[in-house]
Amino acid sequence: MWYFRTLGKRKIIEFIFLCLFMLFFFGPLLNLLLLAFAGEWQYPDILPSVWSLNWWSFVLQDESLVRSMWLSFVIATVVTLISIIICIPAAYAFARIRFPLRRFFLFSFLLTNAFPKMGLYVAIAVLFYQMNLMNTFTGIILIHIINTLMFMTWIPSAAFENVHKSQEEAARDVGASPLRVFWHITLPMAKPGIIVASVFTFLSSLNEAEGTFLVGVPNYQTMPVTMYSIIADYPSTAGAVFSVILTLPTIILLFAARRFVGADAFANGFKMK
Amino acid sequence: MTKKWKSAILGLGLVMPSFLILLVLVMYPVWSSIKTSFTGADGQFTFEHYIYIFTEPLILNNIRHTLTVTILSCSLVLIIAYSIAIYLRFNQSPIAKWINRTYLIPMFIPGVIAVYGFINFYRDNGWVARMIGEEYMPSIIYNVKGLLMINIWFNVPFTTMLLISALQAIPNSIIEGAKDAGANQWRLFWHFILPLSYRTMLVALTFLFMGIIGSFTAPFLIDRNAPQMLGVSMQQHFSVFNAIEQSSSLAVFMFLLCSIVGYFYIYSNIKGSKKEL
Repeated sequence: MWYFRTLGKRKIIEFIFLCLFMLFFFGPLLNLLLLAFAGEWQYPDILPSVWSLNWWSFVLQDESLVRSMWLSFVIATVVTLISIIICIPAAYAFARIRFPLRRFFLFSFLLTNAFPKMGLYVAIAVLFYQMNLMNTFTGIILIHIINTLMFMTWIPSAAFENVHKSQEEAARDVGASPLRVFWHITLPMAKPGIIVASVFTFLSSLNEAEGTFLVGVPNYQTMPVTMYSIIADYPSTAGAVFSVILTLPTIILLFAARRFVGADAFANGFKMK
Repeated sequence: MTKKWKSAILGLGLVMPSFLILLVLVMYPVWSSIKTSFTGADGQFTFEHYIYIFTEPLILNNIRHTLTVTILSCSLVLIIAYSIAIYLRFNQSPIAKWINRTYLIPMFIPGVIAVYGFINFYRDNGWVARMIGEEYMPSIIYNVKGLLMINIWFNVPFTTMLLISALQAIPNSIIEGAKDAGANQWRLFWHFILPLSYRTMLVALTFLFMGIIGSFTAPFLIDRNAPQMLGVSMQQHFSVFNAIEQSSSLAVFMFLLCSIVGYFYIYSNIKGSKKEL
């Protein structure tokens, strides 16, 4: 006990706070990680009695499951590229160019969040039936892009806005063309914001389940959609293995982009003017 | 052509591709579901679907349940996120650094996985029950408590992130100055920190409200069967009862609530902005 007393009350409270935080936010995930490597885990035991990789080989040998992983990554990559191409010009325009109805266009992207997602997907499904887009690759890409429009426009736009105009003007004064200024000055300086938005887009496409479920079934089963049926049909260890596989790219990507994914790059995107 | 015209055309041209997608894939479907919600079986204009959702006791119960869960979740998330943000802003201890490094992760975990992990963790014979003993385990899964907890889990990271960035924007000099002038911690919070960060709280509240009120996966898998959240009720009216008009009117009702919140968000964002329309 004397050891704790020397630490001081403040430290102890802080430590308890950390424990609660970790338990609440990471307990469920740790549980899944343990489950994924459990061979046998009977009820009252706190830890698995037998460890094994059986379910890993089961999942990785199942062709349809592997195909759904592959499909998810292809879709996420395509969605990210298309969103960048479509949204970055708009983001630049919102930050730098004066044009009529700028605010109307800017805030119209909020609509993607304001209408309940399920209701929107149902209405889109009706539209897709008429356009023969049900159960097609294009249909899925489009429904994923809806979810990324707002982030992909607002976050880079805030990043463009934060580039100092004086630097652009200085380059113009030395005789650089507007396109060159954009390519060599503005774009590199706004890169962190664009990277954050791209990472976010990639991950949200990778994790999108509800819209894909409505529009893509039965031919296009992405990982999160497959997860619905795995929860229902397989033992929890198989579900856990699949969860770990589905979460892994998220964690890797977050670590890779750690330098850029700070609170500020994100938060600025929500203070649009 | 004048310079003004040129920039107007350039701006509109750059915005058009993304706006067209928005127009076709969001605005048109929203418009068509508003129209559907006012159309009767004979194709005539009618209020019957709205009369149905506001008189049917089951749905009234669902509306009450949805509003309670949404408001409770929003307040809990705001309180927790604000405390974490304050702690991280004014603390440089190793523990704070650890929390700072990890708090964003839940935001990126797929919804289905988080719910699945939650169920395995908190169910009656889950990991927590094994650790503390089943008889001490409150029922969390298939209960409103579980739904509130998972809403907190999903939304605290995002809200904390917005708030931290707002708090970091408060210059240290203001805080030092107030302290030198003799303000105690409570006054410091009440007169400086809160007023300087309340606009960000409004931003966070907007996205919290919009996200939680229409949510589907979490309430579908974790909440009880009755009363339901409106997101689940809407999906059931569509796919189980095949009543697209009623599910549209539910969607439009939720949209109306979100629009009110959205209006305050936009208003507070452009207030004081010197930019032109």
